[in-house]
Amino acid sequence: MKDLLVMAQIAGRRCAFNAHDVQSVIELGAVTPVPGTPDHIAGITALRSQALTVIDSRSALGFESSQWEIDDRAIVIAVQGHSYALKVDAIEDITTGVTDPGKVPGGFGAEWSRVAKGMIETMSGPALLLDLVRLINPSDDLGVAA
Amino acid sequence: MDELLAEFVAETREMLEASEGEIIAWEADPADRARLDTIFRFVHTVKGNCGFFDFPRLAALSHAAEDALADCRAERRTPDRALVSAVLAIIDRIVQMVDAIEAGEDFPEGGDEELIAALEPGEELIDALDAATTAPSDASDPTSVEVDAKETDSTEANKNSPPSPKPDNTPQVQRSIRLPVDLLDRVMSGVSDMVLARNDLAHRLRQAGTQPTIDGPFERLTSILSDVRDAITRMRMQRIEMLFSALPRLVRDLSSELGKQVIVDIEGGDVELDREMIETIRDPLTHLIRNAVDHGIESPSDRLASGKREIGILSISARQSGNTISIVVSDDGRGLNEEKIADKALSTGLIDARQREKMSREKILQLIFEPGFSTAETVSNVSGRGVGLDVVRDNLERVGGSIKVSSTSDVGTLFTLQVPLTLSIIAGLTVEAAGQRFGIPQSYIEEIIHASSKALDYTEVGDTALVTFRGQRVPCLMLSNVLGLEARNTSIDLHTMVILRLASGDQFALAVDDISHHGDLVIKPLAPAIMKSGLYAGSTLLDDGQPILLLDVTNIAGRYDMVSDARTRVRQTELLDQKETEEVIKRVMLFTDWRDRRCAVRLELVQRIETAPASVLDRSTGSARAVIDGVILPVIGLPDGKLTTEKVRFLRMSDGVCELLFAVRQVNDAAELSGNLKPVPDDPLIEGVTLIDDATVLLMDGHELFAKYGEPPEAAAKPICQLPDNDWARTILAPLVKSAGYDVATEDECDVTIVFEEEYDAARELDQLPKGPVIRLRSQPDPSKDVAAGDDPTVYRYDRDGVLAALKRASRGGKSR
Repeated sequence: MKDLLVMAQIAGRRCAFNAHDVQSVIELGAVTPVPGTPDHIAGITALRSQALTVIDSRSALGFESSQWEIDDRAIVIAVQGHSYALKVDAIEDITTGVTDPGKVPGGFGAEWSRVAKGMIETMSGPALLLDLVRLINPSDDLGVAA
Repeated sequence: MDELLAEFVAETREMLEASEGEIIAWEADPADRARLDTIFRFVHTVKGNCGFFDFPRLAALSHAAEDALADCRAERRTPDRALVSAVLAIIDRIVQMVDAIEAGEDFPEGGDEELIAALEPGEELIDALDAATTAPSDASDPTSVEVDAKETDSTEANKNSPPSPKPDNTPQVQRSIRLPVDLLDRVMSGVSDMVLARNDLAHRLRQAGTQPTIDGPFERLTSILSDVRDAITRMRMQRIEMLFSALPRLVRDLSSELGKQVIVDIEGGDVELDREMIETIRDPLTHLIRNAVDHGIESPSDRLASGKREIGILSISARQSGNTISIVVSDDGRGLNEEKIADKALSTGLIDARQREKMSREKILQLIFEPGFSTAETVSNVSGRGVGLDVVRDNLERVGGSIKVSSTSDVGTLFTLQVPLTLSIIAGLTVEAAGQRFGIPQSYIEEIIHASSKALDYTEVGDTALVTFRGQRVPCLMLSNVLGLEARNTSIDLHTMVILRLASGDQFALAVDDISHHGDLVIKPLAPAIMKSGLYAGSTLLDDGQPILLLDVTNIAGRYDMVSDARTRVRQTELLDQKETEEVIKRVMLFTDWRDRRCAVRLELVQRIETAPASVLDRSTGSARAVIDGVILPVIGLPDGKLTTEKVRFLRMSDGVCELLFAVRQVNDAAELSGNLKPVPDDPLIEGVTLIDDATVLLMDGHELFAKYGEPPEAAAKPICQLPDNDWARTILAPLVKSAGYDVATEDECDVTIVFEEEYDAARELDQLPKGPVIRLRSQPDPSKDVAAGDDPTVYRYDRDGVLAALKRASRGGKSR
């Protein structure tokens, strides 16, 4: 597996996104909050006159997002025809994966296991490869109805 | 019909292309069952399709081929080479005929019988094949002919010579291609994005100040973009004929099944509608028609007994008004039975006896759209198969439409459907709540009232807030509460009430902090996680690039039980006292007139506020007039001197028959008329002085206004302009002339004539100069050498401003004649 990976810190952990899934990294401008929606939906923002749904990936994982610093950049991904901007602690680097994602004995912990495709070794060390669909739809598994 | 025909031709071609390979493969192996099936399907479809049109020969050919192939399929006959050749010859002939249909030519008579006869077992095909090959298929390809014609047109226009008469038999068929709707959607959304990007850019340019080098190209971009947007919108549009064309057949089948006689009257098939929208209304419309034929129209004997014609009439018509299309389905049947509906509603518990007493006929009729309602005593297999009118209403409401019914016993029933023209660009209002902005589709908005207005009479009954709107108690929701936001100002007086009217006719008030702006909103879909909240219908970007959410009014109303039965109870049980209705507060519109006086006029008199360029005013005679929407109206209230502004605002007032325009400097607000009126004797146009918001206001005397100035609106006769008789003039010059307010004609009767310089000279030689003002166009940008630039009597034909100025001069000259 020689795929390019975008590395980011989410809730203090190093995570990897498949670069194929990442459309761009943007400076996050004004975000319009969306009242009446789950906490992990931070709001909507405009990118080149497109509306993006801003997801706070820390809340989506079930963490308290105020515990960590936040990057003013966001990762733009497209899932099922909709574009999302992911808020993360920090966006680090682009690197190359050296292994396929694999399991770790003992698992990654409840929050992480739900969204993880597995651990992946990269040129800059091990990271958790995330499943985007699960990351932006936490309620599917947690049963939290909006 | 042309469109349907083109569709038929396209479909036949497409099918043929698809089965071309099959035909060849079948020829190689006549016993191949799969190939046989494909070819059978082809002739079968052709037969079916041409039944719609009057193509007896095509029908006969395809029918014969179908019969022969059906025999093979049923194994009554073994396909052999002779049969294959015969069928192929028929397919060839079909193709030639389709070509001829497309080109609008007549296909030469004869030859069909031989082809059909050749299908008979044991027949030889020699003659038939001969006939087929001599058919004029190779005459010319219609496509290339058309292209050629166009080229000649444009070169002619460029050379500016009078066109040679075009051969009349040139096929004028519009070529069409089929595209996946997906692709159209992508282009459409791309253009929408471009509009938004443009708006963003416009905003930034405004911030940066005037930059002539950028502003020019930007203006150009803007106009190109709006053209493209129009075109794209039209691309998605389809004539509603596509939907209507299937209806006569449906009605025929239904009526014969039910032993009734019905004729269908269809009107307005040329109304265009978004493709998606057509699909959305297909089922509701079919349902209504089934209902009308099944329940509405009586059997012929019943009809005769009640003195009607044996044959029932079902009329379906479509009309466009602004951004909505209304479709009316009406029958002349027995009408809806109010008692039956009420009884049914009582028995199913939709209403109770007390409500029943207070309900008007109209309200009772609308009950048929309630869930779980069906009056038919026996469920026939035509209508009433478990899908009620409630589903029809739901489907329409989902796309922002509505449905109403009205009916007179023994005279008929009339359903009115209203649907928006398109889904993606809507007119909307931006409101503010708790410091955040939200969009509301304009179609829901009935009125906007300041909460401080006494007419509103805000009260709280239990936890429910109520306001009084037009004499009715209407439930009121705070937008900030609905969205779970922290309300900023607690006093209800500081809110603005947006009275919303749902498609079902239910009304409720939404209290918002402020109204910020209204305009076209380009609606984008939201991510599923946000849609799940049920509060939002989409998102849109404002001019400054900030995204805002569009409220899902229907859903919010449903969540707070604002719909139907809840409403009925509130409205019916809380009927206002007689005394209270007598004290209905009179409302006036406040404005500042051109003499800077604060004036008011009764709101009922004001039809609407018009803003028009000052150029529509004609003050050449004693009394001023203006042309609005193609009618001439008297104007009063203008300042004495010249108008200083480019645009004028008018209150367009109407007493039902007569209309007049009242020019105002500024429209301020609507207010209630509560104080006493003190008569003012010195100005007959003023009914009196009153206090509104602690300031004096002059109330206009409506009676005197109309007695003195009111006039029935008169259609403005446009001046006629005669154009040169060539394509350039028709296609390029005519729109410009029309936009300058002229009708275009080629006859002699005209107010202004536009001619080319060369023709003018020729006419002068012959002493046949046209009467009236003449505008002379030259083909070269520079005036000819021997005329000084200053007093050049001609205008370069692409000098838009010059042509317009000349037209304007001519119209002034023409008026005085």
